Amino acid sequence: MNAAGLDEALVAAAQAGSTDAFSRLVERHQQAVRSFLRRTCGDWAAADDLAQETFLAAWSRIRRLEQGASVRAWLCGIGYNKHLTAVRSASRARTRDAAWEAGRPVIGVGRSDDRLTLERVMGELPAEQRACVALCLAADFSHAEAADALGLPLGTVKSHVSRGRTRLLQALGGSDG
Amino acid sequence: MDEAEDRLKALFALDEPPARDVVFSAEVMARVLRREFRIEVATVGAASLVGAAALWAVWPVLQPALVAISHGLAPTIAGLALAACLIAVLQSRPLTAES
Repeated sequence: MNAAGLDEALVAAAQAGSTDAFSRLVERHQQAVRSFLRRTCGDWAAADDLAQETFLAAWSRIRRLEQGASVRAWLCGIGYNKHLTAVRSASRARTRDAAWEAGRPVIGVGRSDDRLTLERVMGELPAEQRACVALCLAADFSHAEAADALGLPLGTVKSHVSRGRTRLLQALGGSDG
Repeated sequence: MDEAEDRLKALFALDEPPARDVVFSAEVMARVLRREFRIEVATVGAASLVGAAALWAVWPVLQPALVAISHGLAPTIAGLALAACLIAVLQSRPLTAES
């Protein structure tokens, strides 16, 4: 059974109430969801908290997931909405913005200049653009899959990815031709 | 261009969490199961409250009916209880003899 087929079988079992099947889905997709949220919100601890919230929300809404839909795109979409909700909360957003800069040296201990540059530039990108870059450049999502996950028009995603790629490559000393 | 993109991908890959993280998965599932337990307790509690309220509402009608039935059924229930006692005693006799 291929990955999509296995996902479909696990989703069907989870929709029937199987927590074991949902546990397998968590195991299979935790890396994608956590990576995406780490790159999107910058703060790893907060990202992992959001990832847990994402899976909890996914369990509550699993019956709404249509058959054949991409599970990782669906999960990343829930995670992105959780992230936006957290950022929109004014006090938390301020704390997070401050933590972004304050957290860099701690997170960056032992990291190469390139990694620090990448994190800094990712932090400077607008939230939507950062999410598109995180999905399409870092996680190999197709533009259509990212548009589906983030609830954005396909053209907007393509434009965000293109601009984001240019910014990142320029910052890393490469040219975007 | 390709080299720069490969470098970018390699840098992104350095920040990835492990493909399998038992601790994270266990934490998520513990929270899922706690939530399921709370929902179950709330459902049972709500059903109990509804049942109690319904019983309270119909009690004035139910009580006379129960009293009337119990008068009629008392000899039968007493007989059944006696039979049950006899059966219990008869079934336990071989065990008592062996011990």
